Amino acid sequence: MSTALSLHQSRKRKNGVMMALCVVAAGIGLAWLALILGALIYKGLSGVSLAVFTQMTPPPGDAGGLLNAIYGSIVMTIIGIVVGTPIGVLAGTYMAEYGRFSRLTTIVRFINDILLSAPSIIVGLFVYELLVRPMGHFSAIAGAVALSILVIPVVVRTTEDMLNLVPNALREAGTAIGAPRWVVIRSVAYRAAMSGIVTGILLAIARISGETAPLLFTALNNQFWSSNLNAPMASLPVTIFQFALSPYEEWQQLAWTGALIITLTVLGLSIIARSLTGRREDR
Amino acid sequence: MKPMLSTDLNVADTTVEKAKIEVKNLNFYYGQSKALKDINLSLPERSVTAFIGPSGCGKSTLLRVLNRIYELYPKQSAEGEVLLDGKNILDRSQDLNLLRTKIGMVFQKPTPFPMSIYENIAFGVRLYEKISKAEMDSRVESALKRAALWNEVKDKLNASGQSLSGGQQQRLCIARTVAVKPEVILLDEPASALDPLSTAKIEELIDELQADYTIVIVTHNMQQAARVSRQTAFMYLGELVEFDRTEKIFTSPREKRTQDYITGRFG
Repeated sequence: MSTALSLHQSRKRKNGVMMALCVVAAGIGLAWLALILGALIYKGLSGVSLAVFTQMTPPPGDAGGLLNAIYGSIVMTIIGIVVGTPIGVLAGTYMAEYGRFSRLTTIVRFINDILLSAPSIIVGLFVYELLVRPMGHFSAIAGAVALSILVIPVVVRTTEDMLNLVPNALREAGTAIGAPRWVVIRSVAYRAAMSGIVTGILLAIARISGETAPLLFTALNNQFWSSNLNAPMASLPVTIFQFALSPYEEWQQLAWTGALIITLTVLGLSIIARSLTGRREDR
Repeated sequence: MKPMLSTDLNVADTTVEKAKIEVKNLNFYYGQSKALKDINLSLPERSVTAFIGPSGCGKSTLLRVLNRIYELYPKQSAEGEVLLDGKNILDRSQDLNLLRTKIGMVFQKPTPFPMSIYENIAFGVRLYEKISKAEMDSRVESALKRAALWNEVKDKLNASGQSLSGGQQQRLCIARTVAVKPEVILLDEPASALDPLSTAKIEELIDELQADYTIVIVTHNMQQAARVSRQTAFMYLGELVEFDRTEKIFTSPREKRTQDYITGRFG
């Protein structure tokens, strides 16, 4: 009787210790996140003004904004998504639908997983060799291509995963009613997996809108307004990188503000992505 | 309900009725393993045939051969003949999509498509027919009435099919199958995931549908087979052990294995 009781006591103690450790670990993780966000808001918010969104990046010692960098980021992200998403969705569709049982799918999945975790600077170097060197100069196009290469594995992965979650019974039901394969995929499987696939695309946007390394070797940067896709183009991450390293106070302030803008954008996209998947799970 | 048939009639008399589907020397393989062994049977037109037997006996496999849905998966193959109105559907030249419009199927778990109730039914119709909105409306209505679901859903046709209860979803699936005007309806344990009340509704429905369709039902539930079917096939370990009038199977089976199964000695 007494041994049973002491056993119970010692288990309770162990449980308490383990739980405390878990809480502390979770707290440390969250604390860093809160610190980063706090610092960003504290240092960045004071710099937010209309000028940030209407004026170009200034020369050292002058006031200015981030318009050309924001524009460049938006343009290159859009092109990257527009190019990368169809390839990613179609590849994911092949893997989950047509090639579900094929060997090729296993190989593609393996390569895609490697690509997914490849350092983005390697992608930048790859596009540098592929486009920048032959063309002889840096360009927004090269930057967008580098970003699209980062988009593809993210979208392939989520598309395949989400389509694999669609129950086979649903495909059988579509087939049993006489629908050809592609109609079953389009009208039944895509529809069932839609919110998940869109979430994957949003996450891909979030991922590439903060990428710096692949743009350093491709789109470079631009102090001035440029909408020429065949010329170097500014982007928020590269501008932040450059301005944060500079000794000028105005530039440093703009870097903080730019960092805040990117973080809030990514945060917003993540929240949208979360709410979309959440709704899917409710059903 | 259907008329009671006298039990002293033998199989030869049943086959006098026009056969809708004839299965001849059918073998089926999952990779190397043989799941169906030399099956021969003929399913009379406009009546309900039940496949019974313990799990893994091949009754669902046999059903899945009839609309060739097994072809969705690699390494599954059938050899032999399955004649639909005298034409071999296992032939390579058979158009699978057309075959499946003639032979509809309802599954164990309700499988409403991720769209509205209306669209769930219009989807299949639209695949092979170009009809006006008004015609489609009446087509949807008659299919839902046929499946005894109209009164429950007529005010929410635009609601998601997945918002219905399990029993309603299953009737929606039957409505969807009926809407494309098939000749044969395959039911793969259609009531096993449903409560007794919904089951009773589905069985009532099956009884009504046999006036127009040839129906094949796979069921685990022997009472259900006895209630709804006119013929029953008892299968065991991939073989067709006995195929006869339902009354005969349940009152005086020829085979000892059938007798043992229906009296609950195994399975």
